[in-house]
Amino acid sequence: MNQLHNIKKREVSMLLTAVLLGFLIVLQARSFEDVSDVINRNNRSDVFREIQILKDTNDQLRDEIDDLEDQLVKVSNNQDALESVREEIDQYEALTGKIDVSGPGVHVQISGDIQALWLTDMVNELLSAGAEAVSVNSIRLTNKTTGFDTIPSGQIMVNSVILNEPYTIEAIGERAVLENALIQSEGIIERLQRSVNGVEVVVEQRDVVTMEKVL
Amino acid sequence: MEKQEQQFKKDWKLSAVFVVTGLFIGALLTVQFQSSIPSSTFLSDELRAQKDLIDGYVDDQGLLKSKIIGLRTEISEAQERAEASIQSANLETLKALKEEIGLTSLRGPGVEIVIDDGIFVNRDNPDTVSQSLVHASDLRDIVNILRTARVQAISINGQRVIATTSISSVGNTILVNNFHLLPPFTVSALGDPEVVMQRLNDPTALPDLAKRTKDLNIQFMAQSKEGILIPEYSGNLSSQYISEVDVTNQ
Repeated sequence: MNQLHNIKKREVSMLLTAVLLGFLIVLQARSFEDVSDVINRNNRSDVFREIQILKDTNDQLRDEIDDLEDQLVKVSNNQDALESVREEIDQYEALTGKIDVSGPGVHVQISGDIQALWLTDMVNELLSAGAEAVSVNSIRLTNKTTGFDTIPSGQIMVNSVILNEPYTIEAIGERAVLENALIQSEGIIERLQRSVNGVEVVVEQRDVVTMEKVL
Repeated sequence: MEKQEQQFKKDWKLSAVFVVTGLFIGALLTVQFQSSIPSSTFLSDELRAQKDLIDGYVDDQGLLKSKIIGLRTEISEAQERAEASIQSANLETLKALKEEIGLTSLRGPGVEIVIDDGIFVNRDNPDTVSQSLVHASDLRDIVNILRTARVQAISINGQRVIATTSISSVGNTILVNNFHLLPPFTVSALGDPEVVMQRLNDPTALPDLAKRTKDLNIQFMAQSKEGILIPEYSGNLSSQYISEVDVTNQ
């Protein structure tokens, strides 16, 4: 009787151990899954980078305030008002894609079967690094551009135009900063290549990148 | 005697099984604690100092933003007053361009999406890596889908999304136009509510987010609304590198 009781105790202990073991295995697998999926599309925590971004942004905002204060003085002076407005129109026409624009920048070529989200992320990375204008397969991205759509055949479409491989992304801005944002360790290209097999990405700095106006 | 020996062997085997199992569990526990991302190396007061520094910058951002909006309004008013010297055609062109860029607030029918972290996850811990958090990539995907539905204007927590807006993250901090945003995130879009809702309800539109909403309690709600207000862009617009192509050199 006593022996039977001992065996039962052992079985219960074994069962509890197995349950705990199973729980840990699942927890472990899930924690790995969590880490890999999230890391591939989002940057890791870096408090110093966060502070640097905030500091740079605030500096840019102060510069913008200085520019706007100068503009206010000009526009309040009848003689300078017209010139100031013309300058503003020129600036906005360049930003909205009403005119052909050019400047230093980067040329990125992506060969491989990728999902639309990687184009969204790549463009975002360039904008985050200060790109002032971006085009994909020669289509300038403006406020009027549609998003990256995926049609039933799996192809990516923008502004009702199907984008063919290789995808070409061009950006105007500070060349080295733009290039570095893409090619840095744990950057977008590394993460893309880790997620999608066989994707080739070539990034080149260019003295002049030209973008045609949006029709 | 033989029975005792058998019992001894049985007990020994069982003990061995327990030892091996125990070791295995121990190893798993070790890996588990190591994989949950190394805990911060900063002392708590250093973390507090960093948080204070970040909060200071965020407060400054708010002030600078209001100053920029105020100055842009003053400039527009001064331009209206100087209409005679500026010429009304120029003023009309300027108005249309400002609206296209996102320098004017807009109100109209559209869709409002509210998205929030799962209930049991702590965003404040910089070491938390979880699919139960809303990530910058989720907001990028939502904005992209809204753009495929050809919406007129988008904002996230009052930050106007324009052509050059970046939606990024540094760890668990989400930055839109490099401004700090905290959950819940309200994405407002001006456009045909029916078209937008149809696009959002398409199961292929946001597959990852739909799965995480279902499995991990991320809170996602979209509804059409009549009077959605999209504020004007309040960030930096100056450009240093872009210039008009000189046609005479072509």
